[in-house]
Amino acid sequence: MNDKVKITINGEQVEAPKGMLLIEHLLKNGIDIPHFCYHPTLGKDGNCRMCMVEIEGSKRPQIACDTPIKEGMSIHTNSDMIKQVRKDILELELINHPIDCPTCDQAGECKLQDYYMQTELHESRMDVENKNHARKNVDLGKNVMLDQERCVLCTRCIRFTQKITNTNELGVINRGDRSVIDTFHGRELESNYSMNIVDLCPVGALTSKDFRFNQRVWFLESFEAICGACSRGCNINVDHRKEKYKDDKIFRFRPVVNLDVNGYFICDEGRLSYKNEAINRLENAYTQGKECSMGNAIKSMREWIASNKNKTLFLVSPHLSNEELQTIQIFAKEHEIPLSGYSPQYINESLADDMLHTADSSPNRAGMQKLGISQDEKFFKKELDDARLVVVFENSYFDANSGLLGDKKSACLFSVRPNDLEQFDIVIPLPSFLEKDGTYTNCDGIEQKFITGMQKNRPLEGLVDIFKESL
Amino acid sequence: MVTKIVSKNFDIPNSHTLEVALKSGRYSSVEKLLKMKPDDIIEEVTKSGLRGKGGGGAPCGPKWRLMPVDDPRPAYLLVNADESEPGTFKDRQIMELDPHLLIEGIICSSYAMNIHSAYIYIRGEYKLQFERLDKAIQEAYNAGIIGESIMGKCNYKLDITVHRGAGAYICGEKSALIESLEGKRGHPRLKPHQKECEWYFDNPATVNNVETIASVPYIIDKGYEAYRQYGTEKSPGTMLFAMSGAVNNPGVYELAFGEKMLDVINELGGGIKNGKKLKAVIPGGVSCSILTSDEVSKAVLDYESMRNIGTSLGTGGMIIIDENTCMVEVAKNIIEFYHHESCGQCTPCRDGTGWIDKVLKDLLNNRGEMEDLQIIDDVCDTMNGKTICVFAPAVTSIITSIISKFKGEFTAYITKDNKNKKWQTS
Repeated sequence: MNDKVKITINGEQVEAPKGMLLIEHLLKNGIDIPHFCYHPTLGKDGNCRMCMVEIEGSKRPQIACDTPIKEGMSIHTNSDMIKQVRKDILELELINHPIDCPTCDQAGECKLQDYYMQTELHESRMDVENKNHARKNVDLGKNVMLDQERCVLCTRCIRFTQKITNTNELGVINRGDRSVIDTFHGRELESNYSMNIVDLCPVGALTSKDFRFNQRVWFLESFEAICGACSRGCNINVDHRKEKYKDDKIFRFRPVVNLDVNGYFICDEGRLSYKNEAINRLENAYTQGKECSMGNAIKSMREWIASNKNKTLFLVSPHLSNEELQTIQIFAKEHEIPLSGYSPQYINESLADDMLHTADSSPNRAGMQKLGISQDEKFFKKELDDARLVVVFENSYFDANSGLLGDKKSACLFSVRPNDLEQFDIVIPLPSFLEKDGTYTNCDGIEQKFITGMQKNRPLEGLVDIFKESL
Repeated sequence: MVTKIVSKNFDIPNSHTLEVALKSGRYSSVEKLLKMKPDDIIEEVTKSGLRGKGGGGAPCGPKWRLMPVDDPRPAYLLVNADESEPGTFKDRQIMELDPHLLIEGIICSSYAMNIHSAYIYIRGEYKLQFERLDKAIQEAYNAGIIGESIMGKCNYKLDITVHRGAGAYICGEKSALIESLEGKRGHPRLKPHQKECEWYFDNPATVNNVETIASVPYIIDKGYEAYRQYGTEKSPGTMLFAMSGAVNNPGVYELAFGEKMLDVINELGGGIKNGKKLKAVIPGGVSCSILTSDEVSKAVLDYESMRNIGTSLGTGGMIIIDENTCMVEVAKNIIEFYHHESCGQCTPCRDGTGWIDKVLKDLLNNRGEMEDLQIIDDVCDTMNGKTICVFAPAVTSIITSIISKFKGEFTAYITKDNKNKKWQTS
């Protein structure tokens, strides 16, 4: 693979790795080559016949996904002959397609649409009443719906269940133009990675039960972020929309390719964790159970900290970014306040799988460790006993241990409403992990930066701002 | 005209039983076989010029040479008995009337390639043939012909297993056959970039047609020169030619290559049924170009001659069509078959066969338009040479040849010109 050979692509001489699949080289170098069935993680299958290229000296067009690069080969990806072949094959893909783009969730990010626009528009030569029909809403089980009529039978979804999850729930049923994708009898999608087949599907055949009929994709804006559902730190695209007169709303997460972290996929749990953003958000400040202004709540908290300096405990959480942890650490050091990151409630060994999901459902424990913040139980318990004031930062420990606060004074800063709001004297809302900037350090020690693209009507003041000034 | 090599025992009563088979000379080649070195056996077969009789006609010896030598993995012989090509019913005769010939052939071929396991992938619909073959294998095991040793003479383990297909035409394609045998969906595999053997569960394997394997014992027994005395220089030996359709004596006839097609139809087939005129012949199963009666008079039954007149010998299954047959209906019948049997793996074939079927259906129902013939032509062009296997090119060759050679009959449907529907009896 390390041997470089000279090849000619569309008249331009370039160097390419010998033996690499031509399609891989073309895609890596931004040369547009239409394809449905090839995918870097699933390899070649050769069934869609869309990636045809002209190779000089070869009688017939060849598929780029099954052509290893050879010294001196000269290929054309856009000759008249290739354009015609593409158009012809696309015509066959479309003759039995329902062309129901107006009601299809894939519209706007559909490869069939894209290629149709690229290969010159043509009138259909197939009578509508002559089209084949199949089942239009098949419940595949976990989170995924199938429309068999829209399918181009690229079998990416099947190969995903065979090669990636090893769950083998899907197969092709029947033959010829009656072929459809379906689950095997009596089975349904069961893996926690099933929704990746929705991304893999190049057309509107597989749609997410969660996202479908919710939003036209061309209204969505995207920014890259880090998934907070576990310590893997998978890279995601956050698709959100701020409609006029309404607040910014997140509609879905999609994986971003990062070969060092998550590869091409994310788990369903992480993907659906965008919902936590909208439910149970803490949006107002409270003192003694009564709603109050942010300013007043922060002021009271700072006064309490000042008057209980030697008897205060800060309890931070691995949900905070490195920058937030650092700010609090500096603040605590300056005022000699003990700082604990005790948070065993986020670790659950049964959540770990052999793909991406880890046992730790918080994103930044490694960052906390790196800063030297103690997670020791004894230290935490001792300081808690001694403390008259406990300030809790995004740490849900007291959700299940509310009795422990007793008659101590307490303040908490949360983005999500804690189970028992009443047990805290002062409650301050924080921006969620998608509404702030910062870095997380994932379980493998990789630091990843995230910058929010949310445009909330009422952005909340971040932890760094609240604690950057000393008392 | 008939030359009986493979079909030698077909007419003997109860030839499928071991008792009769042994009396009729079956397994006589084994003695000579065991005295030869495997390499010499392959050399003998190569020299004989034996060609694959499943339709492709590739030389058998060089194909066997593709098996890796000194590979630690077990090697397999996969016998293709999934005979499903319309108009082809020759392998069926072998398995029905002389299954021990096939077993003898498997012994010879396996020994040549150092194979200890052979599988026979038999078409699911061949129930009688399966039963006879299975029984013959049992007989051979019980008589010690195969199993732990070959006829008790040589310490060479050989197992033969029969596997029944589930009724898919495409499983006759060798790589789809292997996929099916591996327990997967019968989809053809992508072709390798250089010449190599097949891979069965990642082990080296060779796929051969039943008739090819059944031709081997004669070559071993009598030598390659004896085999080459029949047939032509490039197409040596004999082949089982099947004749069906509008002839008086349909059936399977073993002929040396190089016979004139018309003579075969007239002499062996007994001429066209009911004294009618010959209109066309599909020469080798439906996967090759049709011949008009004029072309038939020039056709000679060997691979090269057939290629020179723009068709192929295929499986040698000739379908004879008389003057009262509507060629649009012939085309519809054939495309219906292909539409039903396309495996659906790659786009051109999956959707192309269905589309042509629909267009021809409209045509036959008097809803055709001139544009339709253009559509068929375009779809055939897209299917030709742009798919994984040769199914779609086969569709293209038969459909385009019927349309181009009998275009008047198609346009007669479109223009609703009943006078030009020449096939109708007056």
